[in-house]
Amino acid sequence: MTPNVVILCAAGMLVSAFLMVGQKSLFTTIRLYGAQSLLLATVAVIMAISDHRPHLFVMATMTTVLKGFVIPLFLMRVVDRIGIHREIEPFLNVPTSLLACLGLTVVGYRVSTGFPEGTVGVTHHVLGVGLSTLMIGLFLMVTRKKAISQVLALLTVENAIFLVALGITSGMPLVVELGIFFDVILAVVVLGVLVRRIVDRFESMDVSRLSKLKG
Amino acid sequence: MTLLVWTLLAPLLTAALGAVRASRKVEEVVIVGGLSLTFVLCLATASQFLAGDVPSAFNDALRVDGLSALVLVLCGFVGLLSASYGIGYIRRNDARGLVTPGLRQEFSVLTPLYVFAMLLVSVSNNLGILWIAVELTTLASVFLVAYHNRDTSLEAAWKFLMLGSLGLGFALLGTVLLFASAQGALGEDLPALHWTQFMAHATELHPFTLRLGVVFALIGYGTKAGLAPMHTWKPDAYREAPSPAGVMMAVGMLNAALYCLLRVHLISKAALGPDFSGGLLLTLGLLSVLVAMPFILIQWNLKRLLAYSSIEHVGIMAVGIGLGGEAAVLGALLHMTYHTFAKPIAFFSAGTLAQLHRSSDFSEIGHGTLGRAPVASTLLLLATLFVTGSPPFSLFFSEMMILRAGFLGAHPVATAVFLVALVILFCGFAYQIGRLVFGEPPAAADRATPADRETLDLGVMVTLVAALVAVVSTFYLPGPLMALIRAAVSVVSGVS
Repeated sequence: MTPNVVILCAAGMLVSAFLMVGQKSLFTTIRLYGAQSLLLATVAVIMAISDHRPHLFVMATMTTVLKGFVIPLFLMRVVDRIGIHREIEPFLNVPTSLLACLGLTVVGYRVSTGFPEGTVGVTHHVLGVGLSTLMIGLFLMVTRKKAISQVLALLTVENAIFLVALGITSGMPLVVELGIFFDVILAVVVLGVLVRRIVDRFESMDVSRLSKLKG
Repeated sequence: MTLLVWTLLAPLLTAALGAVRASRKVEEVVIVGGLSLTFVLCLATASQFLAGDVPSAFNDALRVDGLSALVLVLCGFVGLLSASYGIGYIRRNDARGLVTPGLRQEFSVLTPLYVFAMLLVSVSNNLGILWIAVELTTLASVFLVAYHNRDTSLEAAWKFLMLGSLGLGFALLGTVLLFASAQGALGEDLPALHWTQFMAHATELHPFTLRLGVVFALIGYGTKAGLAPMHTWKPDAYREAPSPAGVMMAVGMLNAALYCLLRVHLISKAALGPDFSGGLLLTLGLLSVLVAMPFILIQWNLKRLLAYSSIEHVGIMAVGIGLGGEAAVLGALLHMTYHTFAKPIAFFSAGTLAQLHRSSDFSEIGHGTLGRAPVASTLLLLATLFVTGSPPFSLFFSEMMILRAGFLGAHPVATAVFLVALVILFCGFAYQIGRLVFGEPPAAADRATPADRETLDLGVMVTLVAALVAVVSTFYLPGPLMALIRAAVSVVSGVS
């Protein structure tokens, strides 16, 4: 039963990434990111129980609290203060984006078969999903114009890296994981401050306007 | 507590003291005093290493070998130098009423914090802590890039943070994959990510996973080093950052990022042979030198010109490391040392010119600066001789060493391309600076207000000191420093 739940949660993360690609409302995208983090935490909890790795519980708790709730709430507050709620027009339209991401998923699965752990069973799917989500995150980063959307894309990439870490190594050493969490929180705060400064200056968070520096 | 821990605590405490609101005098004393102490502690740690000890802390998570000691000393030096210039920079801006207490405080917190993060990078023996420290350098420097809060500074800071975070995402994935390639052979606790452990178990690493990890880690840390094609944040960030912060990015951060690249390269070299990551570094390095070429020729801004020169130099170092062999590595590490001494002159004198003219665009500064700011212009010319690698100055020798090793080694064609690019870069850079310094001054050159006239203030004095250090280092490297370079070379080329 447990392997199926892991696969289900991992697949849920991939679905949430696809939904982000098709979504223009910033609030919904932030909620999707929160849901994705909760799914990641679930994967960690199940692995902690089935593989008897208690330190994964710490990671799961941190993921739930910080990425499931604190970061999404912080980002929602930023969006609320700014008063801009929608991604206007991404560089690529939604159907084309979805097709491109479908292709990226195939590539992700193909790459995952190269790992010694990646050919069979649960890890195959976890790695496949992790790498696909990673590439979808990168795709979102280059196609979105709103600063907050880019931040969310970055956070999605980071979630995907954690999923890959879970699939391939059952998690990094605890101290390192805590350090990474600390840095991520700090990065989100810095990004939030910078987004607000940009909005104050430009009265928009359309980063395609940041195009004065060339050459 | 060991000396090493104190070396790291000193800048951290300086940052904490910098956060206390005080008068300008007190703040100046705190930042320069704190960073002088830091530099002295760096020297003490290095001399402890030279005495045959291996300074380490936290169960070997921090450990100083030859490479660490060299980067540590260079970063400590740059931190002190740029903080001293920074005080002069702020005084000048203060004289024009551009400085608020908040801005001053921001500078005196972020600068030591940035130094702390760079020092932490340079003594990390643990790949996880290394990553965390590099992320800290990024976060500490974002607001230095955004310091002036202009439209363009925010744009530069945004690009810097997004590209930097993306690069660090890659580096994190690379770290995860490197960890996975050990397949549990190193255990699951913190020591499992120790670089020394990787080196001891290099033959047991899984090749596919390791290759993928090395590629991601090199691209990730290469972004921080500013290797092409991940260099695009650099010109923007250097133009917008105040010159003292620019020096820390162009020299300190460059050395620290190169340190990360070297650590990953060495694991790959021990496990997969020298050609895999060496070839990658050679390619990226050569690409950086080639990419810098057209942009230096068409450049319209003094600080962006320096940024492309910095991309060129990190490219030269990557080429030296990529070529492999003891001579090329010695060339690369000497180049790193000489570059650390030479680049501050360029940034400081360019910063002075930019401050006097309130812009770093060539069109705003106007030609013929020699008449208006003779000292800064002369120093800029001296810096040009250094950074273009003209004989008889130091960078010429290190470049020659790398070129010689390249022609004698396995990549003569790549070295030939490299040589041509260096010659063109030399001409381009010298042309741009020559035009700026000697050109016909614009008609309205006398518009300067008293605050905009060059005086022999602290900033110029610090630049003179930097120039003195660079000139002396050309002809005489102190014995202990040379011993550190030798020790670093044996770390890098010893394991083949």
